[in-house]
Amino acid sequence: MSIDWITVAAQIVNFLVLVWLLKRFLYRPILDGIDAREAEIAERMSKAEYARQKAEAAETEFRDRLSAIRSDQSAMIDSVRLRAERERDALLKEARERLEREQEEYRRQREAEERKYIAELHRVGMDAILSLTRKALKDLADDTFEERVVSQVSNRFLSIAEDLREAAGESAEAVATTRDPLPRDACERLKADLQKLLPETTLRFRTDVAQSPGLVLRLGGVQVAWTVDSYIDGLEAQLEEELPPTRKGKARSNDR
Amino acid sequence: MELTPDSTIVFVAWSIPVNATIFHTWIIMALLTGISILITRNLRPDKPPNRWRTMLEVIVQGIQGQIAEVARRPAPRLIYFVGTLFLFIVTSNLLMVVPGFHPPTASLSTTVGLTLSVLAAVPLFGIASRGLRGYLKSYLEPSAIMLPFNIISEFSRGVSLAIRLYGNIMSGAVIAAILLSVAPFFFPVVMDLLGLLTGLIQAYIFAILATVYISSATSDPSTPENAREIQ
Repeated sequence: MSIDWITVAAQIVNFLVLVWLLKRFLYRPILDGIDAREAEIAERMSKAEYARQKAEAAETEFRDRLSAIRSDQSAMIDSVRLRAERERDALLKEARERLEREQEEYRRQREAEERKYIAELHRVGMDAILSLTRKALKDLADDTFEERVVSQVSNRFLSIAEDLREAAGESAEAVATTRDPLPRDACERLKADLQKLLPETTLRFRTDVAQSPGLVLRLGGVQVAWTVDSYIDGLEAQLEEELPPTRKGKARSNDR
Repeated sequence: MELTPDSTIVFVAWSIPVNATIFHTWIIMALLTGISILITRNLRPDKPPNRWRTMLEVIVQGIQGQIAEVARRPAPRLIYFVGTLFLFIVTSNLLMVVPGFHPPTASLSTTVGLTLSVLAAVPLFGIASRGLRGYLKSYLEPSAIMLPFNIISEFSRGVSLAIRLYGNIMSGAVIAAILLSVAPFFFPVVMDLLGLLTGLIQAYIFAILATVYISSATSDPSTPENAREIQ
């Protein structure tokens, strides 16, 4: 057992060199690698923590917004309900107005129909009365309707002769208006009757299809007439007495 | 029979004889450095660690953990010295089973050299940690009377370190050689297996004792933690 001091010195140098070599090629790379990995892991964890905090913040914001939306929901429902009620009222009002307009239109149409019906009634009644009258006069008195009308008018203005003269004043012409032309005999008789009362007055005949059958004599401001209108009115009054419950009831139901 | 490889001259370079102890030390140095370079040459943070790198990390972190456990505090610079001691001794002891390899740790010159390195490292680490005044003051503790005993204690530590390692490894090699001549087929295998275990334990003991000596020199007894330990 001996110690070779040269070998001892060489082994010390060898050992120190080995310390440097292992520090350079083993410990430093390994420890640096571990440190780098730890730093990387720490960084990733930091990023993950940041991402988690961000996600939590987003979740909190989302929950806040959700709660705000839920709290506003009742107000929105009330608002929508109010708006719907207004819309409903407006639609009902519009429908009511349209219904009223339609009812008014219907009422106007009905009145027009009534007027048309009454006019038709007048015409038909007039024709019927005229026809019946003509037939009755012919059968019973062998006379014509026009003769009787002229006679009736003559009697009337003869009964008011004084008033007629005053009313005629300076008028030199009297006008006899009929719906259809008068027969010649009737015209001559009317002329003769007027000449008896007012010799200087001329008589002019004219026709008016719009006039009721009969005769209207106008002189100045005076008018003497006989038409079947009064009879037609009487007929209508009678019909009104017979028909009113039905027609008036219908009219009332339509008004509703 | 030669008890030390110091007397075996392997070759002469520039009229300087290189004995087996130095030559096999160079082999161990080349082996450790080469393996380290091979494993750590492609070491990059963006590449996942392979099994070799993981093995080295386990070894390095194991040494670091043992040092921290013995020193009772993190001592990052100590791993370069103590770790190299452990790796050198354990590699030398394990290569003992290779035929024709003379473990440098079986040479008293190597163990003395390593011990002298430890004896030099103790004051160096102590002065670096506590300062020159603080380190020298530790020789006067607990009183100035203890100064010669502390100095003797330091030297006896070194002697025990050197003799322990040398004696164990040398005796293992000698016993294996004797048994090889007596019963060449069975006993040498058993003794070699036992020698591997012994070599591993001796490397561990040497490194741990070096850590204890250095950490005791670097620890400040005035700190509460170390004061409790002293009590």
